[in-house]
Parts: sequence; structure tokens; C-alpha cells
Amino acid sequence: MRIVIAEDNALLREGLVLLLTTDGHEVAAVAEDGPGVLPALLEHRPDVAVLDVRLPPGFRDEGLRAAIAARKEIPGLPVLVLSQYVEETYAAELLAGGAGGIGYLLKDRVGRVEEFLDALRRVAAGGTALDPEVVAQLMTSRHDPISSLTPREREVLGLMAQGLDNSTIATTLVITERSVSKHIGAVFAKLGLPPSDSGHRRVLAVLAYLYS
Amino acid sequence: MYRALRRSAAASVYLVVGLRTALPSMLGLYLLPFAGLLAMLFVLVPWLPDVLRPVRALAGIERRRAGRALGREIPEPYPAVEGPSLERVVRLLRDPSTWRDLAWMVLHGLSGFLMGVLAIGLWPSILFALSMPLWWWAAPEGSMSAFIVLDSWPKALTMPFLQAAINAACLIWLLPHLARFQARLAGWLLGPSRRSSLTERVERLTETRAEALEAHGAELRRIERDLHDGTQAQLVAVALRLGLADRRFEADPDAARELFLQARDGVEEALTQLRAVIRGIYPPILSDRGLPGAIRTLAAGQHIPVRLELPGEAEARVPAAVEAAAYFVVAEALTNIARHSGATKAEVVLHRADSSLRVLVRDDGKGGAGTAGGSGLAGIRRRVAALDGTTRIDSPAGQGTTLEVELPCGS
Repeated sequence: MRIVIAEDNALLREGLVLLLTTDGHEVAAVAEDGPGVLPALLEHRPDVAVLDVRLPPGFRDEGLRAAIAARKEIPGLPVLVLSQYVEETYAAELLAGGAGGIGYLLKDRVGRVEEFLDALRRVAAGGTALDPEVVAQLMTSRHDPISSLTPREREVLGLMAQGLDNSTIATTLVITERSVSKHIGAVFAKLGLPPSDSGHRRVLAVLAYLYS
Repeated sequence: MYRALRRSAAASVYLVVGLRTALPSMLGLYLLPFAGLLAMLFVLVPWLPDVLRPVRALAGIERRRAGRALGREIPEPYPAVEGPSLERVVRLLRDPSTWRDLAWMVLHGLSGFLMGVLAIGLWPSILFALSMPLWWWAAPEGSMSAFIVLDSWPKALTMPFLQAAINAACLIWLLPHLARFQARLAGWLLGPSRRSSLTERVERLTETRAEALEAHGAELRRIERDLHDGTQAQLVAVALRLGLADRRFEADPDAARELFLQARDGVEEALTQLRAVIRGIYPPILSDRGLPGAIRTLAAGQHIPVRLELPGEAEARVPAAVEAAAYFVVAEALTNIARHSGATKAEVVLHRADSSLRVLVRDDGKGGAGTAGGSGLAGIRRRVAALDGTTRIDSPAGQGTTLEVELPCGS
């Protein structure tokens, strides 16, 4: 995959480049500040962009704004946003366009290389990767109907909202795929959501429910 | 007319009740020269505080009475006096409120009695004047009405009515003025003088400043403890695991790998703790979006509708510490509302005044919230106190909770 990176911290930037090239990807460009992000994306049209939220010169949410702006210019451009902290509002802003190919993860997750690369591939393929913390924030702020779910169903809902597919959920929870789809059916029924196929549309349905 | 009469009646009652302090004041007025003389001969000096006690008690009664009439409380101006008796005496003598009390006693003793008697006498005097034409002929020789000797029917049928009119005018116009004068005299002499209220204000500011520094120090210690016992200890454990992994790397790669993974878990945990500490010091969303934006984010995360009133002037940045405290207040208050109140809606209002930021959080829940019982309200109070701010909680049972915080922000 061809990847554009925006990260101001030199150590982390080199680490990311190393991690991605070792996995066989090509880092097409590296932006070191907010104003540099959009031109780099427009010039290189990467398969996926990895952007830090906070960038110079303002050190506010330049990366996030660049991601939203870039997706206006290049609809469906897969973007994985990394941050030192997650805020559900930011996730909502990223997902507001409705199209897939959105990732929003804590920087900590880079440490689990396999999972990180997996999330990156998922985003590049038009899927979703939401940090478990964002999902947890969403689920606590909507506790009324969610409290009617069993603990297992809640786990499944959380993983589903992160953007994982059935087989990954099954491996994570060490259960069969059949019981995963059974749990998902129960969750959809309890929350009153129309049954939908797996993949990004399902995530959107779940998130739409959590944000409503 | 009815209202004027009622006003006069109220004034009369006030002046008559004034006799309760006026008569003892009169007594005090007569005793004052003797007391002064004895004091000059140093006989009375050691007992001065005891001598002044009844004066202060009397002033206290008048202060409450006049305060009710003026519609504002007249605060006691006496500074706390402690120490050995001689020092107490010197302090008392140097305290302006002592002399102001005595001045009030003299003036009130002179005027209060007269005014009280006038208030009692004016009402029947009108009836007396009006009935004069019926029995003037039986009155003693030289009886007068309106300063005219009544010696013929024409005079007896006109002058008493003039007298009654004069008396009624006094009643309606003069009595309320006199009552107001009496109350104002007390308010002026018995309340704190401008200088002493300034002194008191400085004292209070010094006190709250000391408290604020103390609370600020407690916050710093809390942060230090979180970092020291949490993050730092966690990282030491990580370093230890990495060191062990390094030693075992050749001999037992599997065990080394297990240690590496544990180290990674430890780093992740440290990062989580660090995020919590950072959030406690200065939530990152504040530097991203400013206070109004951050509050909008908080409100969006609630499962009940939260009405926001974040006027434009709140966009003007306030000092970071104030911003962080205001954000903390709103976050804690909304958490409390979600957890305990059972409210169906809430409201957050920011108001930027000249030198302060006011934060108001209101809900329609079940009320009865207090700082006791380990709720977040104690934390709010602590955090606000550290910035020399004030916290007000109004939470009557069944009528929702209003939290109002005022944070000074310098400029």
C-alpha cells in the first residue's frame, strides 16, 4: 500500500515509517505540520493516510481537520487518525460523512503491531477501526437500552462498533462464529436495529444508534 | 390616603418601639459623664469591657431593628478582641466602633425619647382637637388651639380644626421622616465605617488567599502522588521486566518473550494513567477546541438533552487554570446529574463578567445534593477554592439542583 504519514514527533515518525516499510508498504510522503498535510494527500493520492491529530503550528486538531478536508476533496479517501487521547466527538466528526475508510485510534495501539496493521488494512479496504476507548465512551453515555444486554452481548457490540468482522470477534472472544452471529442477532433485536450484513454498513448502523 | 396612614402607623410603631432602646440610652447618657470622670481617674479602666457590654447589647438590639426597617442587615463592626485585660482595654479604646456606639447612644438618647413620645401623642391629639368645639367652654381659661386663645364660638369652631389639620400633617409627613432618620442614624453609626469595612475585606481576602494557596498546594501534591505512585512506579516495573528479559534472552527466549509482552502491557497501563493525570491537569480538548467547544463535547456525550448557553464573550480565552477548573466543574456536575439526579434535562450557562467567569449547571432532577457523601461536589469545591473562587449549591429536595461557580480571572 502507498501511505502518507503526518506526524510531528520525529521519534514516532521514524518508528511509524520503519513499522510500515517492514510490513512491505511504501511511505509516499511524510508531513510534519498541519498545512503540509492536505497538499501531500492531494499530490500522492495514497491508499491510506495515517494522521496525527495534534500538529504544529497550532498544536490543536489540525490533523483531524486535514482529514475531514481531504475527504471532501477525495471522497472515500481512507484515513487513520492517531491521537494521544480520544474524544467521541472527534469520532462523530470523522464519521459524519457516512462513507467508510475511517480509523480513529489511540497512539498506544501502535505498540500492538499486528492489531495496528490489521486496523490499517481494514481502513484501507473501506472498513472502520474505532478505538475501544471511543466505543466505551459511547456505550457509557447510552446506558439505558444497552443495560438490557448481557455482558457477552455488550462485548460483541463493543467489538462490532470498533469495526471488527465476525471471525475476528470470534477469535478475540474465543467462541465460534456461529455464536457470534447469534449474539449479534440478539443485540440487533434488543436495540431495535434492522438486521444488516456485516462490514462497514453494520458498523455505521451500530454507531448511528450509539450517537442518536 | 390609606397608604399614607398605614405608613404613618408603621412609622409610629417603629418610633414607639424605639423607646425600648431610647430610654436605656437616656440613662446611659446621664451616666456617661460619671463614667468618663471615673475612667480619667483610672478607677473604671479595668472594667471597661464590662461597662461597654450593656452599650453593645443595646446597640445590637437597635442594629437588628434598624436593619429590618432598612431592609439590609447592619453588620457588627466589632473586631475580635483577645489577649490580657489591659490590652483588651487599649484595643477597645482605640477601636472606632466603641466611640461610634457611644455617639449613637448620646444622639438616640436625646432624640429617640422625644420622637417616641411624639409618635404616641400625635394620634390622640387629633381626636382631642376635633372634639374641642364640644367642650371648649368647660376647658380652663386660656386654652389654646393653633396658638390662638379660645374665647369665642367663631374661634372655637375654626381653630381646633386647623389644629387637627396641622397635627394630621405632622402625622403623615413628619413621622415617616423621623422613623427613617432614626433607622439611618443606627445604620450610619452602628454599622462598620468605610475604613473598617475595607479592613475587614482585606482580612477576608488574606484569609481566602491563604486557603486558595493551601488548596492549590493540595492539588499539586495530588498530581505528584498520582505520577509518583502510578506512572513512575509502573515505568520502573517495565524497566525491570525489560532488564530481566535481556538477561534471559539467550537462555530462555520464551520466558524473555513473555517478559517483553508484560513490559508492553505495563507501558500501555502507564499511558492510560498518564492520560488520566493530564486530563486532571488540563484536558487536551481545551487546547483543541477552547472552553465552549470542550463543553459542547461534554454535552454531546450525555444521554439527556443539555441546553447550552455559551455566549460569544466566553470565547475570549480566560487563564488556562480557570478554563481547566470550569471544564472540570461542568464535567463533574454532568457526571453527578447522570449518576444521581434522575433528571430529564440539564442546562449549562457560561457567563464572562469583567473580572470573573461564572459557570452555572442546572438540572430538573430530584435535588437533595450535598458536598457530603463523597459526591463529586466536594471535588468541585476543592478545585474552585484553589483558584479563590466560590461555589454555591442550591438543591432543595424534589426541585432539581443548581450549581453556581464563580472563578476570578484576574483582568
